[in-house]
Amino acid sequence: MGSSSRVVEAIRRRPSSLPDRHGYFGEYGGRFISESLMEALYQLESEFRKAWSDPAYHREMNEVYRDFVGRATPLYFAEALTRKLGGARIYLKREDLNHTGAHKINNTVGQALLALRMKKKRLIAETGAGQHGVATATVAARYGFECDVYMGSEDVRRQSLNVFRMNLLGTTVKSVDSGTKTLKDAISEAMRDWSHSVLSTHYVLGTAFGPHPFPLIVRSFQSVIGRETRKQILRKEGRLPDALVACVGGGSNAMGLFYPFLSDLGCKLYGVEAGGRSLRPGDHAARFQTGKVGVLQGSKTYLLQDKDGQIEQTHSVSAGLDYSAVGPELAYYHDSGRISFSSVNDEEAMEAFEMLCKTEGILPALESSHAIAWAIRHAREFGPDRILVINLSGRGDKDVMEVARLRGIPLT
Amino acid sequence: MRRKMLAPPENGKRVVPYLMAGDPDLETTRKLLLAAREEQVWAIELGVPFSDPTADGPVIQKAANRALSPGTSLRSLLDWLSGIPRNERPPIFLMTYFNLFLAMGLDEFVERSGQAGGIVGAVIPDLSYEDSHDVRKVFHAGGLSLIPFVAPTTSLDRMRRIVATSEEFIYLVSLLGTTGKELSETGDVSRCVSRIREMTSSPVCVGFGIQSPSTAGNVLKIADGVIVGSRLVQEETDPVRWKALLSTFCDAARTVSPVKVP
Repeated sequence: MGSSSRVVEAIRRRPSSLPDRHGYFGEYGGRFISESLMEALYQLESEFRKAWSDPAYHREMNEVYRDFVGRATPLYFAEALTRKLGGARIYLKREDLNHTGAHKINNTVGQALLALRMKKKRLIAETGAGQHGVATATVAARYGFECDVYMGSEDVRRQSLNVFRMNLLGTTVKSVDSGTKTLKDAISEAMRDWSHSVLSTHYVLGTAFGPHPFPLIVRSFQSVIGRETRKQILRKEGRLPDALVACVGGGSNAMGLFYPFLSDLGCKLYGVEAGGRSLRPGDHAARFQTGKVGVLQGSKTYLLQDKDGQIEQTHSVSAGLDYSAVGPELAYYHDSGRISFSSVNDEEAMEAFEMLCKTEGILPALESSHAIAWAIRHAREFGPDRILVINLSGRGDKDVMEVARLRGIPLT
Repeated sequence: MRRKMLAPPENGKRVVPYLMAGDPDLETTRKLLLAAREEQVWAIELGVPFSDPTADGPVIQKAANRALSPGTSLRSLLDWLSGIPRNERPPIFLMTYFNLFLAMGLDEFVERSGQAGGIVGAVIPDLSYEDSHDVRKVFHAGGLSLIPFVAPTTSLDRMRRIVATSEEFIYLVSLLGTTGKELSETGDVSRCVSRIREMTSSPVCVGFGIQSPSTAGNVLKIADGVIVGSRLVQEETDPVRWKALLSTFCDAARTVSPVKVP
């Protein structure tokens, strides 16, 4: 199949037909998880489908989005950055202005309302940088759930501020000392917890990954980003953008922005992975650059793994992109050619971080800085009449200490 | 090609020890296999270390780490097994996570298992029934069994479909959770076993929570077998102590007087 016919095929099958009823996007996805959890996944899927078709659920969610989260987030014309780069007209989707500082809360609100409907008493979550942990702790406080958040001990050390924020919100942070002591190990530990607490507990998975129906659920909650962007750009420019850019860790902010645009073939979609220090094993998290298809933590997708199938370590300056697998829906659109993927290294991301601070007065998360860096690299390939939308998925306050450390600037 | 099923022990009560291959080295594993053979276990579940064992508790995670550091892999393990005489090891079920099979390729796995000999099948905790159909076909074509899981949470409807695959045995997860916790009461097990018995004649072996010979004895009054994991793994770097401990589980199994499950 040629690349254009593959794209057409991909479009023909979206949006409502994927995932299929077994949770697959083409060959990716599935439910690779222990039998103890299977019935909980069925219950979750059925509760989600019921809620999603219930106008009362959407009314409630929209009210919370408006009054608690602060949606709709602005679509901001970055005039100074546009001038500096001398290419496409650059817009930023300001997910950094959400309550708790990132897009993560779009998903935790939706899942908390589901957990209420399922009469669960307790929430658990994994977190890497801490943004999803804080967003989960926040809804747990708001709705009166008990809450435990699993976090690799290495990340606990790097993100002590977010650990304290979660504690203030009444959540217990459980430090995970196994494996690489980062996000991957926190997910494994959360799954272990869930497999014995499943009757009383809902697992709030934070990204468009894991066993079906999580990739579907998380994408559905995050697609509010793309739906708003579509309306806002039509209002401001009277037409759709030429390209959308998002950083890709697990894939929740990327799928959230891209999903409502998948059928608009004139709108190119670019996903940016963490290139880390280099593309050698253990130095990066660019799954589409050097990964192979495999199964990890519930999902069949591209993984960074060695020839025997052992999962490789990853590295990125941004904890939120530092993960060895990628969401199965992104894997599907990677193969079909609908989404183009590339990587940005640590240094480029740091430079983009600094440039956005200085030109626009906006402090981006190091994750989002990868998408900015892509735009810096490619803006001039677009004419000045072209429109580029970048998902500014989170704010960078959490990264200030780390940036200072990496730049060798002592803070007291 | 369907292989002949393994013969049941005299009183029908199976003991299946779990051990982590290569913990801390294959020389030790060889001694453990021989010890298990001498104790006349029905079969052994041989774990292959994986970097991210989501269904295992801390004891088996640590064993996996110890086994991974000298580089134990599925491929190297199968090669090594082909050099161990069949009369020095019990029948083997390989237990590990699905990615290792995918990385090797299912066809190659089946072929190499055949060459190693004495491998009855595989236990893959993260391969759900729903995702297992193609794998089962390849395994069956190569004479290997793919062990189905049933948990206390499994609905009757799915249980019926799962046990219909009728394999060498049915792996009943005795308690919700990961490996390494003690099973305190056998009510759930009893309920699940009687449901499964209504659906199939395949033997039911209970895993997770078999921490002592007395628990094993209680479970074996109801079920056809026990899989003993973490408790034995704690001792597996010392083959003498491991064998002595295994022996107490085997004694418990031999002296079980079965009760009729209502």
